Amino acid sequence: MLDHMRLDLLDPVEVSRLGGLELSTEGVVEGFLTGLHRSPKRGFSVEFAEYRMYQPGDELRYIDWKVLGRNDRLYVKQFEEETNLRAMIVLDASRSMAWTGSPDTLLTKLEYAKRLAAAIALVLLRQHDATGLITFDDEVRSVTPAKARMTHWRRLLKELNGLEPGHGTAAGPALARVVDLLRRRGLVVFISDLLLDRDAALKAFKFLRHRGHQVLVLHVMDPGEVTLEGLQEVRFEDPETREAVILRPRDWAGVYQKTVSRAVQAWRVACRSNGISYHCITSDTPFGLALREALASPSGVT
Amino acid sequence: MSFLHPWMLLGLGAAAIPIILHLIARRRPPTVIFPAVRYLVDTAREHQRRLRIRNLLLLLVRTALIVALMLAASGPSVPISGVPGHAPSALVVIVDNSVSSGAVAGGTAVGEPLRRAAAEVLSRATAEDALWLLTADGLARSGDRKTLTRVVDSLATSSMRLDLGAAIRQADAILAGEERPGEIFLITDLQRTAVSPAATQAPLVVVRPEGDVVSNVGVGSVATGTQPWQFDGGRLIVTIAGDADGPVALSVAVGGRPERQALAGPGAPVAVTVTGLTPGWWPVVVSVDPDELRADDRRVTAVRVAPVARVTWNPADLHLATAVQVLEADGRVRRGNEVTLGGLGRGLSVVFPPADPAEVGALNRALGRRGVAWRFGDPVNAAERSDSGALVGAVAVARRYRLERSTAGGTGVLATVGGDPWMVRDAGVVLLGSRLDPEWTELPLAAEFVPFVDALINRVARGEVALRQGTPGGTVLLPDRTTEVHSGERRWTVEGGAPFSPPATGLYYLVAGIDTMGVLAANVDVRESYLERAGDRAIRQLWHPARIIEPERARDVVFAAGARGDLRGPLLWLALALALVEVGLASLRKRES
Repeated sequence: MLDHMRLDLLDPVEVSRLGGLELSTEGVVEGFLTGLHRSPKRGFSVEFAEYRMYQPGDELRYIDWKVLGRNDRLYVKQFEEETNLRAMIVLDASRSMAWTGSPDTLLTKLEYAKRLAAAIALVLLRQHDATGLITFDDEVRSVTPAKARMTHWRRLLKELNGLEPGHGTAAGPALARVVDLLRRRGLVVFISDLLLDRDAALKAFKFLRHRGHQVLVLHVMDPGEVTLEGLQEVRFEDPETREAVILRPRDWAGVYQKTVSRAVQAWRVACRSNGISYHCITSDTPFGLALREALASPSGVT
Repeated sequence: MSFLHPWMLLGLGAAAIPIILHLIARRRPPTVIFPAVRYLVDTAREHQRRLRIRNLLLLLVRTALIVALMLAASGPSVPISGVPGHAPSALVVIVDNSVSSGAVAGGTAVGEPLRRAAAEVLSRATAEDALWLLTADGLARSGDRKTLTRVVDSLATSSMRLDLGAAIRQADAILAGEERPGEIFLITDLQRTAVSPAATQAPLVVVRPEGDVVSNVGVGSVATGTQPWQFDGGRLIVTIAGDADGPVALSVAVGGRPERQALAGPGAPVAVTVTGLTPGWWPVVVSVDPDELRADDRRVTAVRVAPVARVTWNPADLHLATAVQVLEADGRVRRGNEVTLGGLGRGLSVVFPPADPAEVGALNRALGRRGVAWRFGDPVNAAERSDSGALVGAVAVARRYRLERSTAGGTGVLATVGGDPWMVRDAGVVLLGSRLDPEWTELPLAAEFVPFVDALINRVARGEVALRQGTPGGTVLLPDRTTEVHSGERRWTVEGGAPFSPPATGLYYLVAGIDTMGVLAANVDVRESYLERAGDRAIRQLWHPARIIEPERARDVVFAAGARGDLRGPLLWLALALALVEVGLASLRKRES
């Protein structure tokens, strides 16, 4: 049945019910890559960059003969540096990630993020890019160094399968660990609900950029966090800090939504101004769409 | 502020509903785990003050909306001056057209500006107002503006007295049954003698004339002394009323005889001797020179001239015998057989119960043979008092026989004890329920005993009654046997014991069959002769909180002093505005949600 279905476009909950993390992720990636080949944005890791006038010493195989035939001039094609990418997926496994506003119809943010991370890892490994995984809550929970073998994906899956929600959120140590692990310039995929110290996180992102890494931030949100619903007065409690606030959702829904939008926009502006890719994804978004949005970006891997 | 439907104010309790709902909703809110509390905190920090103000405003608007609707339903009104319209009101206009209002000052009757003021007051009324008009005749006329204005325009000076306190109480009783806000407008010359205490719940406006009070002299009273007079005549005692500062010339006319002149000083009675009268009822007119108040310049009365009764009595009745001997010595009775005292004689008789109870049966049978409708009934031994009347005052009665009628038509009750007949007259026989003995009644020991015996012999036994005094419009109970009343050419067929109201001053002859049994002299109340006005301070103390104004201001003050502005319209507009605000606030919140 999986052969006939585009799992990447199914509802995440439906996908999770089809099988384990490995099976469902493979289905998602297969669907995603199939769709990608049909897309005009196809491409590979060795990308054409620009033409340059031929100079003595250049390899003849890079001369563009069609241009020579039309213009009677020698041009050579230049490509991006052809090298295997080293990527590190940094996954937030704090307690706030283990929440969903609709347990019957939505995955928790953590379950969604685990599947998304697995799918990204599979895409990268299929491109022979070395991929690693760091999980964290208020401290670094696990570190899996980047490797390019496909068998490495099983290890990553094992790590993700055994991942349980932790306590608070502190991204700094995890990102510092990335610096240690990625000696060469690489790709950092940061998957989190971003309910953390914003300034500290941005500072770490900037440092990574300074070190030449591409940074992709995937902001996972539950739809219940975007819109506030309910008539009666409720005491809302933060699962990590136990901070609480009492209010009537009906009265606050409008202004709350504006606050959330403003916070997302602030992340987006802060990231873009520092050359960081930022994508806000709700946990009801099909994985294929999330992957397309994340990986088809300028800092993406495809 | 007053209310048309004050019970609707109970609905104001509904104003607490929004607050109660708010408090109920605030109790023990459930806890929900929510990771994005930081966004809520940021939102609350930024918008809490505005949302709190808006919610508070919404709560206030809803509460005010309910209050406005409930207040509007209760029909409130408030005093508003200087506005052309007014809320539907109940107005009682008291126009004092009593005798004193006929006094002329500056060529105009005092009552004239008062009537004009009354007409102007009524002209401010609308079809939604309830109107009453009270005048000196005591009638409360209800009607619309035009009807009552016509009554006021045709109102003449009455020969009756108006007790202002009683009129206010009557007006207050009228307004007590009204749901509309009420007001009493008293338009009067504010004569001091007409003022009496009164309490009223409704606003009271007193309109009284400006200017000095004119002086007045009137005939205060004419006393005729003990009647009947003998052929040698009698004396009239005349007093002058008013504020005369010197002797006043007065004229006395008895029947058609030439007038007698006399001088009477203020407060000093003058005696006028009248002689040479033949038997019968003689009209007496005492008058003074005309002055500013004509109604009290003349007073009428009557005297009865008759020979003294010839009487037989039993010397064994010690106290009665003593009284008769005194009267005989004074020439008020003579010995003879015209009237028999103590037992049943051939002619007129005054019968007491026998000392021996065994003789009561024989006496009753004898009374029956004489055609007397009354009998001696069961003996009553109880400490009682006679009911105070014209013939005898309140005297103690220890023993008596109950007087019972043997036929349905018998009347003629002259005095009662404990509600039972005690002295009756029928078929020329007077029956007394008690013997005139101190063991039966204290009357023989009282100072009034001799005059009582005089009246009993000379008038009661003869079937006559005392001269009755009355005032025009006042009520007088007619003697039991009266069948007709006539005065000049006018005649009234009446029933004995019924009330009779003389329409004007003059003499009214009380007739039983073909016999004139008495005279009712109707004269203006002597208190009307004193025109001095009550002071504003005294009025405010007696009729707190009265507002006193001049006639010229009456039109402006009516429905303005007590006059109310109807708040229902403004309150409904306010409720509509509040409802719109509520809808606006609620939709704003909904839109934000």
